[in-house]
Amino acid sequence: MEIALIGNPNTGKTSLFNNLTGSYEYVGNWSGVTVEKKVGVFKKNLGHLIDLPGVYTLNPLSKDEGVVTSFFLNESVDRLLNILDASQLERNLHLTLQLLEFEKPALIGLNMIDVANKRGIQIDYMKLSEILGVSVVPVVARSGKGCDKLVDVIGAKSIQPTKKNLTYYGKELEEAITAFSGELTGKTNHSLRFLAVQYFEGNEYVKNYVNGLTNPQKLKAIMEKLESELQKQTDFKSLTNFIYLKRKEVIEKIIAEVARKSDTVIPLSEKIDSIVTNRYLGMPIFLLLMYFMFMLTFDWLGTPLSDVLDAFLTGPVTAGFEKVLGAIHASAFIHALIIEGLVAGVGGVLVFVPQIFILFFFISLLEDSGYMARVALVMDRIMESVGLNGKAFIPMMIGFGCNVPGIMAARTIETPRERLLTILLTPLMSCSARLPVYALFVGAFFAAHKAFVVLSLYVLGIVVALVLAKVFSTTLLKSETSLFVIELPPYRLPQFQSLWKSTWDKGKGFVRKAGTFIFAGSVFIWLLSYAGPKGLNVDMDHSFLAAIGNIIAPIFDPIGFGTWQASASLITGFLAKEAIISTMNIIYFVPNDAGLQALLAHYYTPLAAYSFMVFILLYIPCLATVATIYKETNSKKWTAFSMIYAFVIAYVLSLIIYQGGMLLGIG
Amino acid sequence: MFGSLKTGDKGKILDLSHVGHLVQRRLLDLGITEGSEVCVKCVMPFGGPIMIESCGQCVGIRRKEAVQIEVERI
Repeated sequence: MEIALIGNPNTGKTSLFNNLTGSYEYVGNWSGVTVEKKVGVFKKNLGHLIDLPGVYTLNPLSKDEGVVTSFFLNESVDRLLNILDASQLERNLHLTLQLLEFEKPALIGLNMIDVANKRGIQIDYMKLSEILGVSVVPVVARSGKGCDKLVDVIGAKSIQPTKKNLTYYGKELEEAITAFSGELTGKTNHSLRFLAVQYFEGNEYVKNYVNGLTNPQKLKAIMEKLESELQKQTDFKSLTNFIYLKRKEVIEKIIAEVARKSDTVIPLSEKIDSIVTNRYLGMPIFLLLMYFMFMLTFDWLGTPLSDVLDAFLTGPVTAGFEKVLGAIHASAFIHALIIEGLVAGVGGVLVFVPQIFILFFFISLLEDSGYMARVALVMDRIMESVGLNGKAFIPMMIGFGCNVPGIMAARTIETPRERLLTILLTPLMSCSARLPVYALFVGAFFAAHKAFVVLSLYVLGIVVALVLAKVFSTTLLKSETSLFVIELPPYRLPQFQSLWKSTWDKGKGFVRKAGTFIFAGSVFIWLLSYAGPKGLNVDMDHSFLAAIGNIIAPIFDPIGFGTWQASASLITGFLAKEAIISTMNIIYFVPNDAGLQALLAHYYTPLAAYSFMVFILLYIPCLATVATIYKETNSKKWTAFSMIYAFVIAYVLSLIIYQGGMLLGIG
Repeated sequence: MFGSLKTGDKGKILDLSHVGHLVQRRLLDLGITEGSEVCVKCVMPFGGPIMIESCGQCVGIRRKEAVQIEVERI
């Protein structure tokens, strides 16, 4: 049995999904967290539960909404589980009425009753169930309360499709539905009434679907006839509007019967909003929060923890490996492979786990509390001036964790041009994998101003993205249309458990990558550095790795790091940015960061180090990101463009910084 | 007109038809249409977006779109 979970954005579908399937999917407190359908196994093995992106209506505007409509048209579903936000019942019911027209067995989960009660709204769910003709179960998706009842009702075989037409669209439209249905009878398994109404509403997905089944001209004629008939009515604007108003009438009647409103108290949300989205304080508060996040990650908490972990890895862990290797009389080759290759390569990356987890914790906090949408609002003015909109800031913020989900999050942006622009620019956001590089270099060269220097890199990434947005939007991607309407969800006090889950979920990817990709990469890089044209165990400067690095090293001479070591690590950095650190640890022979930091001072000046960090920040996105850009844009041209422009801009900026610094006498 | 409303002012939407098609659709999705009562919650500086509240939900829209919405102060 296939059960689809569907509802308005930010109504708790994914929270419920996690509760009903026992899995853990990404949740957050803003509209558009889920951008793809996700399938899980329903508790008690009842079947598959399919989590869909949130939609207001089945007539899509953006790509994530299109996912839902295509799902309805092209895949089979046995039951619909519609989640309603009790505090916004009116708006939510617009979708419900459309779903019921689809004529599949349906069930309603009424969520956020607590929020509704706080606003002084009481809902008679029994009455609602009676009117709609489907079961209504009150649930608290975050805690899982009411889920057992939901499982029982879904499991019951008796759920019948409700055949009564809740919305009467008026004589003219009902006649058109009949005519439309006549054209399609026997050609599809979907509800004809549903297809007809969606077609009249201007749903492009449905239009393409039905046009493939029958003569498009006939359908168009029906719609044109209907429009001309309705035009005679005085207040007729468009078919879409007409249908909307008909549904609204029905909903108002339902609301009058099921909801009782008492005097409302001002919710906490509005008090917080008067501060964080304050005219003057909004932006400073955001910057202060970011600064606090960086200080905690790089200075106050993250670095001391990383140092402890580093001491543990280079001390007891290395000693342990040495002991075991000694006990089994391992050959010099194996010994070197383990100690100089694996421990140095993988350990060098693992050291940064504490810092990365702190960063992810903050990002989760932003997502879960409801602040994310406010940031989008606060940033919109700046984003608008460069041809983007405030919503584009959300993918960029997520990009600070990892660019891949950041690029996916761009699906919620409605206009294709702004979406493409966001996809192209999100890789400039400094992801967590670039963080170890900064941590290493600031430790070696800028110990006194760690957080400040790192913050300057993050800000540089944002500034470059904004400047390029302006450049691209006035040259390559010219268009007037821009859309910015954003829902600001009520604040929620983040629960520690869900915060931790969310942090762990993001962070485990980093740990897993260290155990697989970086592990294999370290072995490979070490082998390249161990072997050379003249045989094994050669001097590192005569290894294959040095030979490869030397080919491209001259390119980087003008920007301050024309060594084969830097070149080799930049090549591996394309595979995964953390690999830069593994490679450096292996190349420079030192099994710990403290030793590596001391050694780096021989190879880099502080100016060259900064130039190197800027280059790492901006140059070609990692392999996984490039693959995601290709998947999301479906264009080889734009994918290639994203790699080339990033490389060019990185080179130019590093050149300006290094040569400019030399001229000023800083190097 | 919306432009004349200040933070804390309440109004009733009279006409949305001058607003861009896409914005109209989105507002409609959120249940904001002709006849809806809205309250201006906050106005961002430098011509930035405004935050309005309608039926207990907060929505951010751009100033240039907001001024095209005809409202009646209540």
